[in-house]
Amino acid sequence: MQQWTETSAFFIWLRESPSIWAYPTVLFLHTAGLAFTAGVSLVINLRLLGLAPQLPIKPFARFFRPLWIGFWVTAISGVVMLGSDLDTRLANRLFLPKMIFVAGAVVLLLVMRRRVFSAAPPEQTRVPAFARVLAVASIVCWLGAIAAGRFLAFF
Amino acid sequence: MRLWWIVPLWKTLHYVSISLLVGIVSLVDLRIVGVAKGLPLRPLQRLMPWAALAFVMSFATGAMLLRINPAGSLGPPINVAFVGKIVFLVLIGLNDVLYFASGLKRQVDGVGAGESTSASAKIVAGVSLGLWVGVIFWSRMLTFLAGAI
Repeated sequence: MQQWTETSAFFIWLRESPSIWAYPTVLFLHTAGLAFTAGVSLVINLRLLGLAPQLPIKPFARFFRPLWIGFWVTAISGVVMLGSDLDTRLANRLFLPKMIFVAGAVVLLLVMRRRVFSAAPPEQTRVPAFARVLAVASIVCWLGAIAAGRFLAFF
Repeated sequence: MRLWWIVPLWKTLHYVSISLLVGIVSLVDLRIVGVAKGLPLRPLQRLMPWAALAFVMSFATGAMLLRINPAGSLGPPINVAFVGKIVFLVLIGLNDVLYFASGLKRQVDGVGAGESTSASAKIVAGVSLGLWVGVIFWSRMLTFLAGAI
């Protein structure tokens, strides 16, 4: 694995090309994907916590397709950047906490989609108590992931 | 440096504000374009003042980051990515002014659950989404294009 990312033509290009279409573009995809995925998740969580209470819950299930697209753009670009400097990045002590926050956020999204959004009757605006607990946990995960990502660059 | 954590903390605040801003803009624009038609637009558009607040937070945290490292964006030579970012933000502002001044915002307020918006509203929402992606692109290019020209 280590050998492979160090010698593959793609990762050499990614590391060494001065073009903005190499590493900078992958970093841009990671940032844009994260801003979308975390941003839409955060606002949906805030809805569950009482923002815009007139909005019915169920239709939010439809935002999960674009959410997953955003997630995969973020995840794939993240793996590509990880491969560009595997040893250093894995050795960073904030890498594991960041991955735990991301895994938590993804699991919560999966649970919420099924138990909160798809399960809601069409016109329902009332939010069950367990959904609010999930929303708080999801907000903590996204804020944790963003903070870990920012601090990671300084270690 | 003893206060090394201030810059990453400030960047975290900047990122969280932008995420909230992008989140609200995306939800409203995607609904206008035709995703999640079960949502009535009047209560959804009531989120827009929160997007404005998130923008003020993003701007304030961003202005502070600019003060910490002015040469990275303002040069000399002036950073092309910084110019691109400002131009795109101005275009977003103009697009928003158009949305309100043309009466489209009020028209869209009348779009209930299950209904579709007009073609012109969809165009304005699509342009808004594209411009925001552009703002993130230029922001990311800031460090790479510093001193490029």
